[in-house]
Amino acid sequence: MSVKVEVIEGGVPHNTILIAGVVSTLVCIYLTYLNVVTQTEMFSFFGGLAVVAALVWGSHTIKVLCSYGIGTGVPSAGMIAFGSGVIAMLYATRFGMLAPVVALILAAIIGLVLGWVSNNILNMKIPAMVQALTEMAVVGALTLMGFAALITGTFGFEGLTTGTVTMFGMTLLTHQNSFIGGCLIAVAFLLGAIAIQHPFNACLGPGWTQDRMLMLTAECAFLSMIVAAIMSFALISAGSAIISLVIAIIGWVYTYKEYMALSKRDAHSWLDSKPIPDVEGQ
Amino acid sequence: MEHIVFGIGITALAGALATVAGSAEDTESNIGSQGDPNSQVQLAPQMGFLHRIFNKAVAGEPPAYGLWCCLGAGLAWAFMAMQINPVLAIVLGAVLATFVQGVYATTAYVGRTASLAKFGQPVFVDILKSMTTVTMAHAFIAIFCTVTLCHLINTALGHPFPLPLLGLIWGIALGAAGSATGNPYYGKERQYQNQKFGAGVPISASGNIVRYAEAGERNSIDNGWFTAKIGGSASGICFGMIVFLELWRTVVFEAINPWYAIIVGVLMILIFTVIDRYIEVWGRKTYGPYTAPKEAEA
Repeated sequence: MSVKVEVIEGGVPHNTILIAGVVSTLVCIYLTYLNVVTQTEMFSFFGGLAVVAALVWGSHTIKVLCSYGIGTGVPSAGMIAFGSGVIAMLYATRFGMLAPVVALILAAIIGLVLGWVSNNILNMKIPAMVQALTEMAVVGALTLMGFAALITGTFGFEGLTTGTVTMFGMTLLTHQNSFIGGCLIAVAFLLGAIAIQHPFNACLGPGWTQDRMLMLTAECAFLSMIVAAIMSFALISAGSAIISLVIAIIGWVYTYKEYMALSKRDAHSWLDSKPIPDVEGQ
Repeated sequence: MEHIVFGIGITALAGALATVAGSAEDTESNIGSQGDPNSQVQLAPQMGFLHRIFNKAVAGEPPAYGLWCCLGAGLAWAFMAMQINPVLAIVLGAVLATFVQGVYATTAYVGRTASLAKFGQPVFVDILKSMTTVTMAHAFIAIFCTVTLCHLINTALGHPFPLPLLGLIWGIALGAAGSATGNPYYGKERQYQNQKFGAGVPISASGNIVRYAEAGERNSIDNGWFTAKIGGSASGICFGMIVFLELWRTVVFEAINPWYAIIVGVLMILIFTVIDRYIEVWGRKTYGPYTAPKEAEA
């Protein structure tokens, strides 16, 4: 059995983050359904907020899992989260309004199987593995769905595979100019996979603090939302994309400043153009 | 025949772009201590060796460059879908991807260093400002060249994959080429110039990286300057050859018979395996104390 090398001390318990993460992510994804109800694309930005909520929860799950010496780097956890999540997400998009719930259930099953395989067949025997991989598959699936809703304004299969192209003043339907046909899903995959693993990867060490890591996750998520909002200009109306972009920029500036303040609080010292300080005993 | 000649021209251009990209990528990652040298930079303060080396491990190079190039390509794709000229679209995509890279670099350095507070390692703001901008400049060149070669593969050679997927694939390949070729020169050689050449890193020397320069204290731009000469060029040749040979065998042989391209690919792997083995054995015999590993431990 693997030895736990880091201990979580203080802060918000993981189960609270888990419940808050699931609820807020699902609520935000469903709020993008207002696009269908009101026949606009103005509510696409809720997809970006779902990404933020899911990633905050997911990065804490990575902290729980990678506190054990798992033998692979922290980035691998992000890759498996999205690798397992993308299958569930793509399948679930066929279920119309039920898509987010189907994605959650299907991803949980895939994660459970992967966790069982890791612990019992690959013999990794890490206590947190099954729950963590289950959670991360769900996070991966819901994050991708959030990106899909942010960029295209919908989470249905038709909307993700069909776009329009204007030729000589005529508007034609095409599969190439779409979220899946144009492979923007690959960009969403990597944006999420790096954003979910980076906070723990960047904050690990003896001086790890929960609030700093989670603030960094929110920062990474808003940063991803900025670029995803820019890509959404190609697929949704300019006004809706501008709303997403403005919200993302405000969120990113706030979280970046807060993260730097928290890092300043935790750092030993904050020096500008100074030589290496003397260490006692040298 | 004409389209084969045209294809070989595009192949040569893509190979040249890839060479520049590989060279810039390796220099960027070395200035950021990304990849395998990173563990020693992270370990040094814990062993009592405080330093002024930049440490921006976002992820391993392949996933990190997978993201930067895929993002650059995705943004370029989106701008082109908005009827923007491809040249401008690729430049804008690369600029925005570089911005994301720069933000990730700052948060990685600040976060890692803050977590080492117990060992007295300070955050050097001047390092943060000067190194991040230099890595961003190199990252821009690497991303721009890679996205451009992906666009050439897509439009000029008619590859069926959309631009973002090509960006993902070639970005990961770029990161892997830089990580495998250029990094050892920094991680095994530059960081341990105070050890016997070719001795590897004994456990007793772990974390004892070179922290002082010819004049004053060494920082990561010194490392970038050092590795750009050989490590960067080697990475550039590596990625350039990967792109050139891969496209060359497809363009030339696929027109005759698709199976020929696959057979030529397998033959190339066999030839390179033989060359690599020969060079490794020759290198071990000619340099370094590898022939008697027990003596090195003693």
